Amino acid sequence: MTDEVRRLAGAAWAFRARVEREASSRFVRLAAAIPAFDPGSPVVGLLRRAAADEDRHAALCADLAAAYGGPAGATPVDASVAPRTFGARDAVLYEMVAACCIAETESVATLATLLAGAAEPRVRSVVHEIARDEVVHGRMGWAHLAREAAVRDVSFLSAWVPAMLEGSVEPGIFSAGGPGSEPDELLRHGVLPSWRKREIFVGTLEEVVFPGLDKLGVPAAPARAWLTERLAGRVSPGGMR
Amino acid sequence: MLFKKLFRLLVLGGAMVGSASGCAGAAQGQSASDKKADDRDGGSPADGGSATAQDADGGAADAGGGGGVPGW
Repeated sequence: MTDEVRRLAGAAWAFRARVEREASSRFVRLAAAIPAFDPGSPVVGLLRRAAADEDRHAALCADLAAAYGGPAGATPVDASVAPRTFGARDAVLYEMVAACCIAETESVATLATLLAGAAEPRVRSVVHEIARDEVVHGRMGWAHLAREAAVRDVSFLSAWVPAMLEGSVEPGIFSAGGPGSEPDELLRHGVLPSWRKREIFVGTLEEVVFPGLDKLGVPAAPARAWLTERLAGRVSPGGMR
Repeated sequence: MLFKKLFRLLVLGGAMVGSASGCAGAAQGQSASDKKADDRDGGSPADGGSATAQDADGGAADAGGGGGVPGW
């Protein structure tokens, strides 16, 4: 393994450890908020279990990061990503869509792609364990959105989906080179090259997330326009200007 | 193929889970702050809310705009 591959793999697993810790805190917070307006929701129990899953995932990712000599990882921050002007119920819906319908759904696609490749045994074992749980985590968002859409108009979220996407994607993914621009060996260590990541991100949006939002009352047209702009390179990655 | 399977597994499967235990309460029970949001007093991304919302990690907004959640 080259030093560059070791460094990139260590940084990627350290980043994932932080993402998983933050997800745990977020799920605990959301589980506490939902009963105020939907006491019978099955999503509450799923969120509590998911928080425990994420703690376990964080430890697995941190161990792999350490094995690659990666950084210990920054302190996780738990802050709502919803607009501050939103009331409690709308803010929960915003976060469930951003965290589960988008981020967890994208994660499942990434994990499935990694599992289809030839990963190192230790990496494969971790990816396999995490993938089992992430399917349930993705479903939680779609379940919550479906419950809300059944009782009220959720189309107001439509205009906010581009902001959710903006914050979910790694800066530079749209400007990254094609096959051969990064070491192929990265895949064995659980890291997708940027071009492959872009392919998965776009495919998941176009065939899973956008149709799902449309189906459940959140028109995806603004999100599709965001993606079209990104793919055309008309907007610089990292900020909507 | 992967994406079609994910749509069934996550979106359709999630919607089924969501409908398994009755419905959420109707929006009439929302708090005043929720009603304010529903009235769009908080604006929308189109009025600039989200443009400055992203920090380097794509995390919480600093000016009232919405942010996103990074994944794998």
